[in-house]
Amino acid sequence: MTVALVSITLRALLNRRRTLLLALLGALLVVVAVIYRLGNPTAAESVEVTRRLLANFGIGVLLPLVAVIVGTSALGSELDDGTIVYLLAKPVARWRIVLVKLVVAWLVTCVLVAPAIVIAGVIGQEDPQLAIGYAVASILGALEYTAMFMALSLLTSRALIIGLAYVVVWEGVVAGLFSGTRAVSVRQHALAVAESFGGAGAGDAGLAFGFAVAAGAAVTMAAIALAIRRLETVELRGETT
Amino acid sequence: MSTLKLEKVSRWYGNVVAVNDVSFEVGAGITGLLGPNGAGKTTLLHMMAGFLAPSAGRVQLDETPTWRHAEVYRAIGFVPEREAVYPFLTARQFVTASARLQDMENAGAAASRAIEMVELGEAADRAIGGYSKGMRQRAKVAAALVHDPKVLILDEPFNGMDPRQRLHMMDLLRGMAADGRTILFSSHILEEVERLSDRVLVIVAGRLAASGDFRKIRRLMTDRPHRFTLRSSDNRRLARELMAGSEVDAVELRDGVLTVHTGAYGALTRAVAPAAQRANVSILEMRPADESLESVFSYLVHR
Repeated sequence: MTVALVSITLRALLNRRRTLLLALLGALLVVVAVIYRLGNPTAAESVEVTRRLLANFGIGVLLPLVAVIVGTSALGSELDDGTIVYLLAKPVARWRIVLVKLVVAWLVTCVLVAPAIVIAGVIGQEDPQLAIGYAVASILGALEYTAMFMALSLLTSRALIIGLAYVVVWEGVVAGLFSGTRAVSVRQHALAVAESFGGAGAGDAGLAFGFAVAAGAAVTMAAIALAIRRLETVELRGETT
Repeated sequence: MSTLKLEKVSRWYGNVVAVNDVSFEVGAGITGLLGPNGAGKTTLLHMMAGFLAPSAGRVQLDETPTWRHAEVYRAIGFVPEREAVYPFLTARQFVTASARLQDMENAGAAASRAIEMVELGEAADRAIGGYSKGMRQRAKVAAALVHDPKVLILDEPFNGMDPRQRLHMMDLLRGMAADGRTILFSSHILEEVERLSDRVLVIVAGRLAASGDFRKIRRLMTDRPHRFTLRSSDNRRLARELMAGSEVDAVELRDGVLTVHTGAYGALTRAVAPAAQRANVSILEMRPADESLESVFSYLVHR
């Protein structure tokens, strides 16, 4: 039954035109790296600029944008259009539906983000470790983001808007102004991982690695638990009521 | 055989009561759930199918509550009213996925069988997104019966079907009922319920207004005027003889058909044969003129 669940989810995600647009966004990251490198920067400068490109574009824009769209629609679109009934009317435990869909959403997000980060990182400067560090960060960040956004899609039908607002306002603005709020920012969790795996050039993210991993794991587990609980008690009404 | 049982079931949304203290049992055979739009039919069906928690009372399938018991779906097939079906899947993929989600061993063969049953063969390998309403409906039905459920719940199954598809679907449901399955469908169209159901549940404004064989329901309402049409060898003589008795309120002769109005259903049916004998008239046909659910229904609504 897992195969059927994976295949429906995957097809629903990949059939959307916006998934293609997200792939183009990843390609844009690579294009920017290529153009920068064509300008023949010095070695030290290229490490710093590439780091900022991966952190601000890769982790700061590409990852959350892909994750919010994939994460909120993996289960949310079926709740919106009512097709969820075809999954719920089956002898399948609800936690299994949540976990399978989460894993699919996570992997789709990783495929759309991590390769772009690796390629852009390797093109932008010489040290492969920097690229790998940011790719690992994007993979762990993708899990935390998609779990969070999937739970959000079970709480509200406006999950995409609220998710975008979280990314732009909270992570983009508030966490920049008040360093204390970084503890509850997925982006900062991911950046701490990148710093830890990315070698000397990865810079200082401002959060300790151990704390970031623990906080990220806690958010992910809480989001999964919330999503399962919500799907177990979700009520389907008719169209008119 | 499986039985769906509702005991004192109510459901409210905020302070709007959608279903109010409803109790009944649905067993083998075809039961029609009839009521105007907004009467609470979908709310009732969703509670029976375990998609909604009753605010009060109990909904059980053979002693297992349907709410939050996913294993009941091995025995239940559900066809929702909402039209949306994964548009990117073909009917075959959709029905096969349903079989896989039911943990069936041979999902492909089961899917082919179900598609055959609803006569979707030729279109089965096209994407559902391009289907007509009737075809989509059949794909939904095929997905619901692919695991051969003991109970089939259908919410407005005939919506969007053309007359031929409708007849075919009725035959299909009759066949499944003849195999001892429990089939419950909702409709706001009297003719459908009348033609298909052994038993009717009438829902008006969230309450169970009547239940049982609709002809029996009708007969219980003796305070309600009835009409019969008769054809006989001599309508005029028969009319004269009938008018002589106290059972008949009025007679009407038109186009070779005798229409009799009565306030006493049972007494009239007993009086007709003796009257014909006295008048030396042969009765060719006698039938209730308004034995349709339409009249039962409007009577119940306005009672």
